Amino acid sequence: MQQGNLTALSITICIILTVVLIGFLAGRDKATRSSVEEWSVGGRRFGGLLVWFLVGADLYTAYTFLGLTSTAYTAGSLAFFAIPYSVLAYFISYFFLPKLWKVANHHKLTTLADYARERFDSKLLSSLIAIVGVLMLIPYICLQLSGIQDTLQVAGTGFINVKVVVITSFFLVALYTFFSGIKGPTYTAIIKDVLVWAIMLFMVVSLPIMHFGGWNPMVDKIVTEAPQLLTIPTEGPKGIPWFITASFVSALALFMWAHAATGVFTAKSADAIRKNALYLPLYNIVLILVVFLGFIAFLVLPDGTDPRFALLALIQTSYGGIGQGLAYSTIALASLIPCSIMAIGASNLFANNIYRDLINPKVKGAKLTMITRGMVFVVIGLALLFGLVFPQALVSLQLLGVSGMVQIFPAIVVSLFWRNQTREATILGLLVGLAVTFTVYSTGTSLGIYEGFWGLMANFATVVALNPLFVKKAKFSTNDVKDYLFGRKSKEIDLVRKGA
Amino acid sequence: MKKIILVLLIVLPFLAQLVVLPFVNRIDPIVLGLPFLQFWLFLWIVLTPFCTFGIYQLQKSQGGLD
Repeated sequence: MQQGNLTALSITICIILTVVLIGFLAGRDKATRSSVEEWSVGGRRFGGLLVWFLVGADLYTAYTFLGLTSTAYTAGSLAFFAIPYSVLAYFISYFFLPKLWKVANHHKLTTLADYARERFDSKLLSSLIAIVGVLMLIPYICLQLSGIQDTLQVAGTGFINVKVVVITSFFLVALYTFFSGIKGPTYTAIIKDVLVWAIMLFMVVSLPIMHFGGWNPMVDKIVTEAPQLLTIPTEGPKGIPWFITASFVSALALFMWAHAATGVFTAKSADAIRKNALYLPLYNIVLILVVFLGFIAFLVLPDGTDPRFALLALIQTSYGGIGQGLAYSTIALASLIPCSIMAIGASNLFANNIYRDLINPKVKGAKLTMITRGMVFVVIGLALLFGLVFPQALVSLQLLGVSGMVQIFPAIVVSLFWRNQTREATILGLLVGLAVTFTVYSTGTSLGIYEGFWGLMANFATVVALNPLFVKKAKFSTNDVKDYLFGRKSKEIDLVRKGA
Repeated sequence: MKKIILVLLIVLPFLAQLVVLPFVNRIDPIVLGLPFLQFWLFLWIVLTPFCTFGIYQLQKSQGGLD
């Protein structure tokens, strides 16, 4: 590895420390950690703009920037699948998130698994959803970890012990998350989002000028020298069918992630969420430009550059100390802040839906709050352990993350609209969906279609086919959530109960 | 009539960003400095919020929101 740049490294470390400090200051007020609801979803008091920053901070991570540029570098326009994916994710969210938020608000729920438990009266389903959520989220946190590790490696080779700095910075993040809860990442998210926009736009304007004399000459050069980058491949294992199904399934999966749901539940009204669904697609303008940075890397960097380092190497060869420092700190923050929100999401699932629903149902109040907060250290610790010790073991789980998460879609979203959806069919559908996804993935029989798509189809088919077998009970039983969603049918049910 | 517009606004973003992809998967013409596929995706980043906004207004006018 090439020697780092001392100016760049100092700037990066200064900015990280400042942000960590702000993370702690955000939690000065003791109320931020007084209950699970305060700590994890900020007492549901965040307005539209704050939710925008939070969800934006949440979803546009270091991995987004490093992963997309490296995909663009190696696979060209396949990287653009991220655009329809996230645009459609917000569009789809418009139709179900306000409703989900209302149920969660009314029944004081803080996780998606909580919702499933109340909707279906099933602790089995809620703990299954929590297990899937935590299992898929830990590798995702690891990805963030490797993002900051790569960044520090480029910035600091020859000056620092990268592993020690990575462990220290994650410990600090865990500590401020424990302390400030969701308030920590929210305020720091504003800094991160502003930096992301400023730095990415700066790079997109300056890099084409530095290397090609402008944007249009750059596009001309890609068209003549590497036209294969600019269109989706029409043959090969990943072509247009993959692109379409991957975009669609990922769009359905986006808000099934625990960290995305946490962000959404902080909103103060259903209307704040509708407005977010409206404005969030605009965030993707940055994303489309980031993919072009990958194309620049392809033209500028010498052959044999590790694609994983495409963006970082491009920054290193193009800018002086200050430019590098600002760019590295942006990527570092894009790794640390989402990590904090993910840790809150995973801890919440673990404490509420695995520990409480499965192991110790009597736990509540102050003790539950403490366990939820303490889980932050366990979650980040596990991610560090796996990331540093068994980086290879996690690769499959990372690849399957989206395909796995989308399998809870019928349990969470379809159930908002379908009164007679039964617990039994939903659980079986979830299990079949997961099994099919893993089988398709491990046997390599996806036929050029995204793995999660097969799983989701099997999942839906199972729910629809098996539902009639169990529907009798569901039709005549009700609970608070069903009443809230579909209105009371009490008369009818009372009559049946009396055996009339 | 309103119902038809509503359905149209819901279907359009999916059609434009998924179904028609095989037909816009090309480099020429270059629009606004972007090769056509990229221009098309960019266009729908901007147009999708308008669809959402249209749906929002329609639902509001029908009193479907609270």
